[in-house]
Amino acid sequence: MTSLQRYWDARAALNFILGGSGSGLIIAAAFVQPPNPWPVAAGLALIAAGLLAVWLETGRKLRALHVLFNPFTSWMTREAFAALLLFPVGLGAFLTLKFLPVAAVLALAFLWCQARILRAAHGIPAWRAPQVVPLVIAAGLAEGAGFAVLLVQTQLAAALLAIVLIGRMLAWSAYRAEVTSEALERAGKALQLGALGALLLVAASFYVAQAALLAAALAVGTGWWLKFSLVTRAASTQGFSLPRQPVRGTR
Amino acid sequence: MTRWAIVADLRRCVGCQTCTAACKQANGTPPGVQWRRVLDLETGEYPEVKRAFVPVGCMHCDEPPCMHVCPSTATRKRADGIVTIDYDLCIGCGYCMVACPYDARAKVDGVATKCTFCVDRIDAGLAKGLQPGVDPEATPACVNSCIASALHFGDADDPESNISGLLAENQSFRMHEELETGPNIHYLWDKAP
Amino acid sequence: MNRVATYCYQCVAGPDLLTVKVCDGVAAEVEPNFAAAAVHPGGGKICVKAYGLVQKMAHPDRVLHPMKRTNPKKGRHEDPAFVPISWDEALELIADKLNAIRKTGLIDDSGYPRVAASFGGGGTPQSYMGSLPAFLAAWGPIDMGFGSGQGVKCYHSEHLYGEFWHRGFTVSPDTPLTKYLISCGANVEASGGVAGVWRHAEARSRGMKRVQVEPHLSVTGACSAEWLPIKPKTDAAFLYALIHVMLHENARERLDVEFLTRHTSSPYLVGPHGFYLRDPSTKEPLLAPSLEGTYRKAAVETGADGEVLAEGELEGETAFSKLVVHMKAYSPEWAQQICDVNAATIRRVATEYLDAACVGQTIEIEGMSLPYRPVAVSLGKTVTNGWGGYECCWARTLLATLVGALEVPGGILGTTVRLNRPMSERHMSVKPGPDGFMHYPFNPTGRETWSARPNIRNAYRSMVPLAADTAWSQALGPTHFSWMFLDGTPEGLPKVTLPEVWFIYRTNPAISFWDTEKLGERMARFPFMVAFAFTRDETNHFADVLLPDALDLESLQLIRIGGTKFIEQFWDHEGFALRQPAGTPRGEARDMTDVATALAERTGLLGPYNAAINKGALGVPLKDFSLETSRVYKCEEIWDAACKAASAELSEGADAHGLEWWKERGFATRPFPRTSWYLFPTLAAQGLRFEMPYQERLARVGAELEKRLHDKGMRWWDKQLAEYQALPVWKDFPGEWESALVAMGGKSEDFPFWLLTSRSMQYAWGANVGMQMIKEVADNIAGHRGVIINASRAQELGVKEGDWVDIATPKASVRARAVLRQGIRPDTLLLLGQFGHWATPVAKDFGMPSMNKLAQMSVALTDATGSGADIVRVSVRKAA
Repeated sequence: MTSLQRYWDARAALNFILGGSGSGLIIAAAFVQPPNPWPVAAGLALIAAGLLAVWLETGRKLRALHVLFNPFTSWMTREAFAALLLFPVGLGAFLTLKFLPVAAVLALAFLWCQARILRAAHGIPAWRAPQVVPLVIAAGLAEGAGFAVLLVQTQLAAALLAIVLIGRMLAWSAYRAEVTSEALERAGKALQLGALGALLLVAASFYVAQAALLAAALAVGTGWWLKFSLVTRAASTQGFSLPRQPVRGTR
Repeated sequence: MTRWAIVADLRRCVGCQTCTAACKQANGTPPGVQWRRVLDLETGEYPEVKRAFVPVGCMHCDEPPCMHVCPSTATRKRADGIVTIDYDLCIGCGYCMVACPYDARAKVDGVATKCTFCVDRIDAGLAKGLQPGVDPEATPACVNSCIASALHFGDADDPESNISGLLAENQSFRMHEELETGPNIHYLWDKAP
Repeated sequence: MNRVATYCYQCVAGPDLLTVKVCDGVAAEVEPNFAAAAVHPGGGKICVKAYGLVQKMAHPDRVLHPMKRTNPKKGRHEDPAFVPISWDEALELIADKLNAIRKTGLIDDSGYPRVAASFGGGGTPQSYMGSLPAFLAAWGPIDMGFGSGQGVKCYHSEHLYGEFWHRGFTVSPDTPLTKYLISCGANVEASGGVAGVWRHAEARSRGMKRVQVEPHLSVTGACSAEWLPIKPKTDAAFLYALIHVMLHENARERLDVEFLTRHTSSPYLVGPHGFYLRDPSTKEPLLAPSLEGTYRKAAVETGADGEVLAEGELEGETAFSKLVVHMKAYSPEWAQQICDVNAATIRRVATEYLDAACVGQTIEIEGMSLPYRPVAVSLGKTVTNGWGGYECCWARTLLATLVGALEVPGGILGTTVRLNRPMSERHMSVKPGPDGFMHYPFNPTGRETWSARPNIRNAYRSMVPLAADTAWSQALGPTHFSWMFLDGTPEGLPKVTLPEVWFIYRTNPAISFWDTEKLGERMARFPFMVAFAFTRDETNHFADVLLPDALDLESLQLIRIGGTKFIEQFWDHEGFALRQPAGTPRGEARDMTDVATALAERTGLLGPYNAAINKGALGVPLKDFSLETSRVYKCEEIWDAACKAASAELSEGADAHGLEWWKERGFATRPFPRTSWYLFPTLAAQGLRFEMPYQERLARVGAELEKRLHDKGMRWWDKQLAEYQALPVWKDFPGEWESALVAMGGKSEDFPFWLLTSRSMQYAWGANVGMQMIKEVADNIAGHRGVIINASRAQELGVKEGDWVDIATPKASVRARAVLRQGIRPDTLLLLGQFGHWATPVAKDFGMPSMNKLAQMSVALTDATGSGADIVRVSVRKAA
């Protein structure tokens, strides 16, 4: 029986979800005080899981290395190279934290590539908007900060989360001003309300520390939902339309 | 230079899907995969309605988004403009499929597939000294099959070609020109003013 | 790899010519026959249906062996329990039944043939059934009147009236020349085949304006310059208003007065009783010196059965004057109320038609100067059948007549004859008849000559004088009567009986006719049914024996091509084309010719069978290449002889190319004069007039038929008898279906939709519903996945795209997915094609119903020609 596929499914979405969170977490780790290797390890694990998921989506798995063939124009190739660099450096950072700033820069590069993957898909209005880049990066950072809060539970991490959540809210607003997609309506609303709720919870965490955990979960959950919707459900092309109607015989 | 292109005369197309069927048969595409198909589009509201039939497929763009995004370089563009897929390189990531603004690609049995402009016929025909778009043996199956003479194939860079003549004599547009992909299916809709 | 040339005649708009790429003995790819581009009117192309032929051969659910039913119980829900048997056993089974019939008599006690046969629409199966016609001819009387949609799915009134008025079994615009075409529901882009699509594309390209008048925006409407969404079944009102504008709102000189005066019945004087005034001695009709006016003349007026109605100094009005008065009431304002097309639009269309008519101009065709009238009106299914069909056909022919556009370049053309003889050449069928008009072979209505005892069950010879009495007439009678009367024969007809043996080939009446559930129940009562079968289907589900015939690309046959055939198939060439195997038949599939020969041999009919072949049953008389009547010939030998005879005919005796030569070439033609497209010169040369506008002869035939029927106490046809009018009046045609609804126990307001159907280009006539590829590509066109409903109306009903809806009459209902479109009237629903399958592989999973389950067979909805129309009044509700 022939297999047939026309759209990216959850496996591709997982790469954006886990990869975004993982790279965001490595970036957040650079800001966490006292420095802690475990967020780096967790970040790498998330990215690896995301890449594993997308590898499962590919049609010819044994040709995985072909993904590296087009660094000149393909953001997917560039993402792969970023990952190739990130893993050894990240491992180094786990072992000795002095590599952490380099790892964070590479993680940002990885996240940037992911955002550009979507942006480069000319066919899909919900992806090709330039505003998708800050949105995907902000989402990754917010999820990363959220994971950092879950892992280290410091007030600094919570404050960081609050800052990137504000960034994510602004990024979504800018994106939403450019793109109308029915498929993103509910996830988009949840994203904003989730961010608002998380901000309130971060504030509350100065009184009840556990509130930060809820804030983090809310930030991560709403971000994941949005990316899942963006990659799988909002991925419709603009369809076809006729700028001119054919003249049938006479006008 | 040569730039192979299709001219689809929307005034003539009746949506019969003969090209769709001919393509399916010539290229052996599996159920559900149509490299050439004809859309049935309505515009307006009752009773002011227009209905038109629009042949679509890979537009063999001058700037193919599918090629730029392809991580494996399986998708390439030949000197004659035909966008090809090397099935031996393709990893089946599906990125080209979602990057194409024209829904032209499908992942079949692990690799991306799409209209080839019947490139084998063109190459074999040219090798025999035949002229694609004029000699049926060197012409894409969809164009050969068209019962309304709506589909034409030829060299858009040759001012003397059949399709250059059609483009000069008629007004035409291309699908989603604002995306600057430079698609190579031209739609005729009226005589030149 | 080699290429095999063959033909496709899956639909009536064929034949088209193709080649098949054969790789290692296996048919791989269908392509146009580019070698035919110069002679074929569609550039040598073939339509989408032909591309399904390779898949057809390889169909996984093909019947590959003769099969025998082992479950004696028949019914939709009974498993027939078919088991494979050998060809010998199958043929023996059939021959035993046939031989028993030959012993007891070919005709049963009611006077009906004991053997019946049904074939698919439009005569297309004949191009695939090899020499079976020779077996049928050798057999003797066979009832071919068990319809599978004939009469209700065709252009029935056009067939009958078209042949009567201008030898037009099908009527086409002279598309290569027409400039202005009013198309009332004619769906040429879906049903005109390759030639139709090709020519209309050319016509659009040179600026022909086509105004499409129909309740939904069909593919043809889509390709037209203008769409007028008319209320269903009111086309006659629209056409009448056009005539009104031409007669009452324009100067007479804008009409072709000379044509009307010299070539029509317009100047005939009509007496006080509505019949022509005649010369008292010669009995010839009296003509006025002008088109219009009233004259007093010494005359006699004769009615039905030669009865003298008036004699002496009589006042007569010209037929044209009668017409002018008759049309006075039918103004655009009147029509607007009925047909929902704006009066101003009607006026504009009438004026555009007149403007484009070029009255007075001539054109030279092959050295002959002919009138040039590039305007035409074409009519579609449901317009040309059932109540209102007569009025529409009359109005259409009249619209041509008024501007002299009948059978002249640019006007409307009858392209073929099936009721007049000879069928091969319509010009030769033009012979002088009474009163200066063409002869027409009416079934007699005279006291002594009327056929009181029908020869077949649908009684066409007794009830429908216009159906004539040729090989095609049986299928052009009221073919639903054969089915209906099985449950009760009306007074005056011998009790309708079950045929003892019924042959089925390339047809599926259990799907394609009406009231399909009841039809299936009747079919289940047939004692012995032989079905040639490609796959299992809803009709052969009731069969006793299934015979696998070699398919389109597996068997051998030679047919005539070119000349003037159905629809747009009028060529500049004529000749023959061969269908030949592009691969070995799968399984035990056998060529129809070999099957026919075997049946002839086993029934002791070899002599008459071979004689029928010699006489021309293969489409060409064998003459010098005749078969010995006592010998059993192989399929190839038979067609070799046919090939030689065809060669000889084409070359006037110079060549005698055999089968091998034809296999190489695929087809051969010689030029066919374009002047032969036009009947006008032939009539003019014989001094004959077109029988337009006044229908004195029809009125007389109707009056006589009425007497015959009443003499036998048959009153159930009275409503139909009222159709025989010299000048037809508008009647509330949609009201007929509303009345039918009331008779079913419904109220109009509860069933507010008109359910219509429309041909699908991908399926029409193709018997290809089981092909996955065809379904896949057809789905690209709206309506193949569900019922089309106006989007705003659907919103009012709370129905969204893809919702399941129930479409119901008071008696039956079907379920379909809603397809929301703008291009349909809010009071109309459209179910494309004829689906609703429950046995045919692939198709049974479509989830796509058919209107055929909802349409009732009824005498009340049958018009005088014996036809009904595809329209039902229904309700729509979102399915629970």
